[in-house]
Amino acid sequence: MSPAAALASPVFLFYFAVAAGLLIFAGIAIPLLRRRLGDRAAHAWQAYLGWLILAPLGLGAIFLGRETTIVFLTVIAIFGFKEFARATGLYADWYMTGAVYLGIIATGVTCLVTHPDLTGPGWYGLFIVLPVYVVAGLFVIPIVRNRTQGQLQAIGLAIVGFVYLGWMFGHLAFLANATHAYSYLLYLLFAVELNDIACYVTGKLFGRHPLRSNISPKKTWEGSLGGLVMSLALPWALWWTFPHFEPRDLIAIGLIIGIGGQLGDLAISVIKRDVGVKDLGATIPGHGGILDRIDSLIFVAPLFFHYVRYVHDLYVGPPTGYE
Amino acid sequence: MELWHYDPPPDLAQPLVERLRRFPREPDMLVFGVRGLSAVVLRGWLKLYHRFTVVGRENLPSEGSYVMVANHCSHLDTLCLQAALPLRKLHRAFPAAAKDYFFVSTPRVLLAAIVTNALPFDRKLDPRQGLELCGHLLDNPGNVLIVFPEGTRSETGELRPFKPGLGLLLAGRDVPVVPCLLEGTFAALPKGTSIPRPRSICLRIGTPRRYGDRRAGKRSAMEICSDLHDAVAALSADAAKSALPIPRPRRGSDELQRVGSSVL
Repeated sequence: MSPAAALASPVFLFYFAVAAGLLIFAGIAIPLLRRRLGDRAAHAWQAYLGWLILAPLGLGAIFLGRETTIVFLTVIAIFGFKEFARATGLYADWYMTGAVYLGIIATGVTCLVTHPDLTGPGWYGLFIVLPVYVVAGLFVIPIVRNRTQGQLQAIGLAIVGFVYLGWMFGHLAFLANATHAYSYLLYLLFAVELNDIACYVTGKLFGRHPLRSNISPKKTWEGSLGGLVMSLALPWALWWTFPHFEPRDLIAIGLIIGIGGQLGDLAISVIKRDVGVKDLGATIPGHGGILDRIDSLIFVAPLFFHYVRYVHDLYVGPPTGYE
Repeated sequence: MELWHYDPPPDLAQPLVERLRRFPREPDMLVFGVRGLSAVVLRGWLKLYHRFTVVGRENLPSEGSYVMVANHCSHLDTLCLQAALPLRKLHRAFPAAAKDYFFVSTPRVLLAAIVTNALPFDRKLDPRQGLELCGHLLDNPGNVLIVFPEGTRSETGELRPFKPGLGLLLAGRDVPVVPCLLEGTFAALPKGTSIPRPRSICLRIGTPRRYGDRRAGKRSAMEICSDLHDAVAALSADAAKSALPIPRPRRGSDELQRVGSSVL
């Protein structure tokens, strides 16, 4: 990954054109539909402004190269964890919060550095065993501080924060090391958003039966199926971006995004409902918190990563011109 | 098994700028980090560029909350007063800043809240609430309240009468009040300019005063203000006797000539 490689990659240019086209289209459509949208127009415009910041940031980081992509995703993970820590009250314990920050930074470092024995960039072995060391480190904190009161809750929350929001999401950063990094990363970012939109639209149009009434009352089985159908169809349309994939791979990644994306969404809803808050933050205008934006990716990233690594290896074959 | 108790902050769903506008603000690691870093850089810059010196640092109380009262003629004043404090006090020092000036636009909010840890003081619409906030700070141990009782920056560099709000805050409240005099900040960055000039700055810190025995009321407030005004002005008189050189006016600087005459 590099600016020169990005400019030479049809995959990157394709996703860039799609993002630019959608932003221009929405920028024209929302003001034109202001009367029909009514009260929702202001919210739609806010969300659009959020995308005007997010899309260039994400695409810019990927365009600049592997290192900026990993740093960008690590910073996102840190701020995502911060929202979780603030919502649960863990943030009051700066030792635990700081330790998780260090753990997330360590995750990013294992993505960045290269083990001399490995064939490609990134230190896969250390990346995978990192939770062992971070969890051990978190238990050391109350021992060093000679504290017991409330420490199990703090350690529990810190482990969830690191493993779920730092390490599992960190798989996305490790994908920047893959030979087909543009194909994988941009597809994941695009597909989970499309899955969310398909769930929302089909749910609005045909939704009758609640999916998980206690967790997310507005989600319906119909919406969920709509998202799954979209996620299963999308890989076939974008098959040219994965020239080494076989039909079974397209079905598998469709299922991973269609099911994993929705589980990720529901998982963050479980956290929000248990804590008793509507939004975990307000970092991105019109989108709520960072976790509200990346929730689907948290489940999808490790599932996609390990599927691709198991079936094809990350450092597959010589460059084909499509990576 | 008992359910876990979560404790989300009241500003959870607010964007950063809105959170910074609030007071008291929830502690934030990133804000503390940036403030700490900027304090180190600013102290170095004051030392090198403005040859910043502090006279009477030993007069600052070592424990409990206290108030620093100073003359005000430049945006540098707050930075200088904070630079006189130990770094560990950085996040516990709160300069009262005009809400209608510092808490309006986003860049000013970021600067005021992150770099200086300012307390938004509504001097026009609701000064009473501002005084309550200040009182609340002083009731908790370990806080430093920085106040410029002239109300706004002096346009001539001369010390002007103090607003009575400070007296209302201090009457009957047993906290040390430290009079401070800043010399040279007017020459370095007067009102209406935005680029600091390389002028020497000296902060003179007087002995603390207490007004816990005064009864709350308008008259006491006026007396306290008058007493503190004299205490700050006396520091400049002390300066004349001091062996330390007073920042010398630059040739052609009329404003500084006036300050010099008032100091001497």
